[in-house]
Amino acid sequence: MQAFDTPVPVPGPDGAAVPAVTRGRAIVITSGKGGVGKTTTTANVGAALAALGKRVVLVDADVGLRNLDIVLGLESRVKHHLLDVLEDKATLDEALVRDKRSENLYLLAAAQTREKEDVVTTQMKALIEDLRGRFDFVLIDCPAGIEMGFRNAVAGAQHAIIVCTPEVSAVRDADRVVGLLPSDWRPELIVNRVRPLLVKKGKMLSVEDVNGILRLPLLGEIADEPGVIVATNKGVPLALDPTSETGAAYRTIAAKLAGKKVAAPTVKAPSGGLFGKLGTLFGGRA
Amino acid sequence: MSGRRIVITSGKGGVGKTTTTANVGAALAKRRRKVVLVDTDIGLRNLDLVLGVEKRIVFDLVEVVEGRCQLRQALIKDKRFESLSMLAAAQTREKEAVSEEAMARVIEELAESNDFVIIDCPAGIEHGFRAAIAGAREAIVVTTPEVSAIRDADRVVGKLTAAGIPLRLIVNRIRPEMVKNGDMMSVEDVCEVLQAELLGIVPDDEEVIDTTNRGEPIVLDDTKRLATIYDKIARRLEGEIVPFTNLDTPGLFGRLFTMFKAG
Repeated sequence: MQAFDTPVPVPGPDGAAVPAVTRGRAIVITSGKGGVGKTTTTANVGAALAALGKRVVLVDADVGLRNLDIVLGLESRVKHHLLDVLEDKATLDEALVRDKRSENLYLLAAAQTREKEDVVTTQMKALIEDLRGRFDFVLIDCPAGIEMGFRNAVAGAQHAIIVCTPEVSAVRDADRVVGLLPSDWRPELIVNRVRPLLVKKGKMLSVEDVNGILRLPLLGEIADEPGVIVATNKGVPLALDPTSETGAAYRTIAAKLAGKKVAAPTVKAPSGGLFGKLGTLFGGRA
Repeated sequence: MSGRRIVITSGKGGVGKTTTTANVGAALAKRRRKVVLVDTDIGLRNLDLVLGVEKRIVFDLVEVVEGRCQLRQALIKDKRFESLSMLAAAQTREKEAVSEEAMARVIEELAESNDFVIIDCPAGIEHGFRAAIAGAREAIVVTTPEVSAIRDADRVVGKLTAAGIPLRLIVNRIRPEMVKNGDMMSVEDVCEVLQAELLGIVPDDEEVIDTTNRGEPIVLDDTKRLATIYDKIARRLEGEIVPFTNLDTPGLFGRLFTMFKAG
């Protein structure tokens, strides 16, 4: 279980270092592969942390293809976005959108008609630092890929959650991403969209298969549930639905991140799987 | 011969671009067309995995562009389809390694000796996307019937239109039961938002995951319904008018959108 960062001294009014109150944690949610559930995870873990009483801000770093606002049902409330703040066209207070349901949860939306290359990395780092001073958790929704968008999303974060589905392409991409993160980080893994029946039939990788390659601390496993599509379309995170198994999995993940002693959620999947076939995954050239 | 150059794109990641590239390409090769598939997702290549040729990569797109090998040396011939080959992306490089001009030259050269050059575009709308469309003359936009995917597809449609590239739409991973229950958008809903000509409707099929993992495109098995659907897409690409199959009552061809359709 990860501890919060130790207090970071900041210069006081006379320039001398003053111990700050504990700053929030900035966590980037990334994957390499698109469509594995980064945005859904960001929204749900954020909502669950807020429900635990934490002050949470969700930052959509997918400039040009923003979706975090939709998943939260806040798209019509976005007045200013990340680039407006970075370019001093709006203040952070003007840009932050409060969640409809939770007063502890805020969104900083991405720009829709701009490009990822417009974000200056040093400015992004400074913004995340600023947010850490105001919130317990800063969750950064990373775009697909490993280019500028990824690098900017990682800048300013201290920790990463890797989201991966049990598919060879996703595992390969996740492995690449882990290699590109700062080498002193210990990213945690969420295996998403697991289908136990397919695993049992040998038609899907098991969580053990996936983590046999990635070898990361397992933060959680989440079963594939059609309700996720419905919920994201409606803009209501499943973490707020007490009847949803997926919601429960996200709530458990949030509890772990908040430092509570809980076991990582698991999906009932029998052992075995396609591990042998993964030998071919990394065969040939790197 | 100057072959057709088609980019398969989406904006949103994970909607099925690579799966579509592999299966449409294989479907065209089954019809004896000479097809080359190009993976432009430099740094996060996956087309080789989906085709099951990952152990046979000797040279990749970046090495071709940098002149470290001939184009023909980098082409991997498929062992199942005589007229199908692919050009792999590099795995340990960045998309910036290939400029738009360099990509266009490679695509043009491939078009000289193939009926179809099909370009698998990465997620996003940044440099990787711009390079992928640089050599294309047509586009297939893949979307799932989900709000986020449609929003991204809409952005991509805008960019393609601005670039003067004609496009058609594949609605992927549709789930009829969910559409009937009102839990998922219908194909009609999607087309209304995107205002694009429909090329294909592909239902969600749990077998796709397995075939992708094994590197055996689903069109290899003629008994699979998705094989039939991709064949229809191939035929439509060649200009045939092929009705969309009614999944509810096999054999009946009703009017589009009045009954659940796929194909």
